Amino acid sequence: MIEIRELRRAFGGVVALDGVSLTVAEGERRAVIGPNGAGKTTLINVLTGEIAQTAGMIRLAGRDITRLRSWQRARLGLAHVYQRTELFALLSARDNVALAVAAREGPYRVFRAPPRAEYSEADTVLGRVGLAGREDAAARALSHGERRQLELAVALAQRPRVLLLDEPTAGMSPLETARIAELIAGLDRALTILIVEHDMDVVFRLADRVTVLHEGRIIADGTAADVRGDVRVHDVYLGKAVTVA
Amino acid sequence: MRPFLRWALVAAAAAALVTFPYWSAPWASRFATTVVRDALILAIFALSLDLLVGRAGMPSLGHAAFFGAGAYAAGIASQRLATDQLPVTLGAAALVAALLALLIGVLVVRSEGIFFLMLTLALAQIVFAIAFQWTAVTGGSNGLAGVGRPMLASLDFSAPDLMYVLVAVTFVLVALAVWGLARSTYGRALIGVRENERRMRALGYDTARLRLSAFVLAGTIAGIAGALSAYSTRFVSAQDAGLGNSVRAFVTVLVGGAGTLGGPILGSALVSLIERVVPSLLPTDLRISDAILGIIFIAFVLFARQGMVGLGRFALLRVSRR
Amino acid sequence: MTAELVFQQALNGLSFGALLFILASGLSLVFGMMDVVNLAHGAFYMLGAYVALSVVQLTGSFWLAMLAAPFALGLLGFALEPLLLRRLRGRHLDQVLLTIGVSLVIVDVIGQVWGREVRSLSAPAGLDGSVALIGGVYPVYRLFVMAFGVALAVAMALVYRRTKIGMLIRAGVEDAEMLGALGVNTNRLFASTFATGAALAGLAGVIAAPVFGVQPGMDTDPGLLYSLVVVVVGGLGTLSGAVAGSVLVGPADTFGKVLFQDVALAVIFAIVALVLLLKPTGLLGRIRIAR
Repeated sequence: MIEIRELRRAFGGVVALDGVSLTVAEGERRAVIGPNGAGKTTLINVLTGEIAQTAGMIRLAGRDITRLRSWQRARLGLAHVYQRTELFALLSARDNVALAVAAREGPYRVFRAPPRAEYSEADTVLGRVGLAGREDAAARALSHGERRQLELAVALAQRPRVLLLDEPTAGMSPLETARIAELIAGLDRALTILIVEHDMDVVFRLADRVTVLHEGRIIADGTAADVRGDVRVHDVYLGKAVTVA
Repeated sequence: MRPFLRWALVAAAAAALVTFPYWSAPWASRFATTVVRDALILAIFALSLDLLVGRAGMPSLGHAAFFGAGAYAAGIASQRLATDQLPVTLGAAALVAALLALLIGVLVVRSEGIFFLMLTLALAQIVFAIAFQWTAVTGGSNGLAGVGRPMLASLDFSAPDLMYVLVAVTFVLVALAVWGLARSTYGRALIGVRENERRMRALGYDTARLRLSAFVLAGTIAGIAGALSAYSTRFVSAQDAGLGNSVRAFVTVLVGGAGTLGGPILGSALVSLIERVVPSLLPTDLRISDAILGIIFIAFVLFARQGMVGLGRFALLRVSRR
Repeated sequence: MTAELVFQQALNGLSFGALLFILASGLSLVFGMMDVVNLAHGAFYMLGAYVALSVVQLTGSFWLAMLAAPFALGLLGFALEPLLLRRLRGRHLDQVLLTIGVSLVIVDVIGQVWGREVRSLSAPAGLDGSVALIGGVYPVYRLFVMAFGVALAVAMALVYRRTKIGMLIRAGVEDAEMLGALGVNTNRLFASTFATGAALAGLAGVIAAPVFGVQPGMDTDPGLLYSLVVVVVGGLGTLSGAVAGSVLVGPADTFGKVLFQDVALAVIFAIVALVLLLKPTGLLGRIRIAR
């Protein structure tokens, strides 16, 4: 589903991604882990198209999307849950999701009011992520955990083929974390998910395969069990220098 | 209030507005009609700017370029094309304004906030300077005189009362259009672009195209306002495209209340009042209506950023709490 | 066009460029430090010219005017920043809107106090002659303007790079908030910066007066229009940007006027358009995201 080849991204002198290649199959749950500064968020941002790559190629469902803009990739089925919530603060939860629903149609019906079907679908999605009853609340009035749930709802409302989650449980209590993890685990198996996470419990709960990133390079790639036992991964997390094979 | 009742009231108000010169003749002077007419032209201009400033979050300080373009196009069309027919001259105005908005829009649409404001100002100023110096086509600093009478078949709209009706009807149509647009999926998308453009792009919206379309739409309506101004005074001045006019519209929108339907309308009423009534209250050699406007503008930016509509809402909130 | 004419126009272009630098540097400085595009900059420029007019009328000395006008504008700027702008600290767009209001007031007041006729200011004695140059004579004053512009640029560069004030300014341009956290009195720094920007605008007004005259409308043309074009083309917020922009726009405008006369500004439009399409932050600029 996702194919990345030799992806490079440099910011001036700093190389954030140094030749990353990986393939994620359709329906797979792939976790990307690594210490801070490893390039995980950069990887996501290059995938979504918000940041351009310095070199390399990206394929989505076999189609080369390397040159496409972020909105074009979104239309091809890529949805992004941001590390730091990016919502429409003043709008209600329902409106936030409705915008995502409407995105599928295209906004150029100039004088047509938003159809009721949009709002009812928005409410349905909000119910699925556990925000039933909070539809009318303004996004900025929600708690941190609720906002992360809303972010997930917005992404799901896009009916994506690929879901990119950037630290979805960041800043959450154990209870909220467990809830979100269950939510993600319960998502449609046809949906391909790439999740960047720090919380290892979540990773081992959700991931089919795990990719470990360090200083912009992949140093390990395998099933959760494989990675758990990999010495190099341990070293990296303990701060020791690692030579990449 | 039931929808039917609300619509009936709106229709009645619109009808009263359009027929103003006729039912006010006994007690209002001709001057009153021209004042209201000019206020309505400003309102159309301000409503179009509010699409950008209030809805799409694009603070444009060069909107008069399109107003002026429409005015010049209507005037030049009536002279060069040897026709006074309204559809032709008004159509020319809309077309020229739209094309200019497209040209400038393509250049400015990827910038935001202050940078966008600066660019629209600079580019519009260049347009103004061209209009000011291109004497052969625009009459240069002397302006374009002898704008043709707006005719529809054999109906001559240059008669003051009919001119007013033309302006008022256009105003009602534009206000309705803006109202409908605000409630549409397009209007909601514009708000989305304003609130969080990054998110909109992540959802799949082509935000650059959304902004460009808003820019061109706003510019076209401004061009129509400019044409109406040209018809009313039978004259086009280079100042119609100048910074002063852009600032005027911006002040109108902000002081009235950006992002609302009533805001630009209220703002036009206030600005027209200041421009028309204040000079008649002051000694003739004291011409400071711009300074007064400036002080009011500063006051609103400092203390009442949401404009008069915002103040009204605030007052209503206070009252309802009692 | 003869070679002499080209040479003359080139000199005109360069002296106009020098003037543009003096004018635009203040705008760029204020933006670099405070993230505010001072739209009253043209009004300050205009006020400087009119103040110079009065000073010359009173004392007969152009040189005194050259000191008095920037000083007066500096005082005005120093008073306006805490009075108005400081209340909106952090709301950059609203601060810009505020400067629009200030501009409206200043221009109207100028019209009230000095009248709305076209006035003129002659170059000071000693600089009002012509000098023999390749292909004829050339006004000395324009050469003076050129020299002054270069001197100012050099002086600003030296202050910028070699003095403590310059270091503060450079740091402030990078991150003013951080400076505050380090204990620098940002209130005074901002007020001083704004005052300096105003003073520079006033200085430009005085120096430009013998060349461009003193009349209503000068706040927008050449004032605001050209300072904006220079910083958009050259890059906002940097000294080198102001220099690059002036050096490009000055001659381009002069030659445009000679070649295209009525639609000369279409050349400027084309240049701005080209820069925006190819390098939106300006030739030497660093864009600051400011809402």
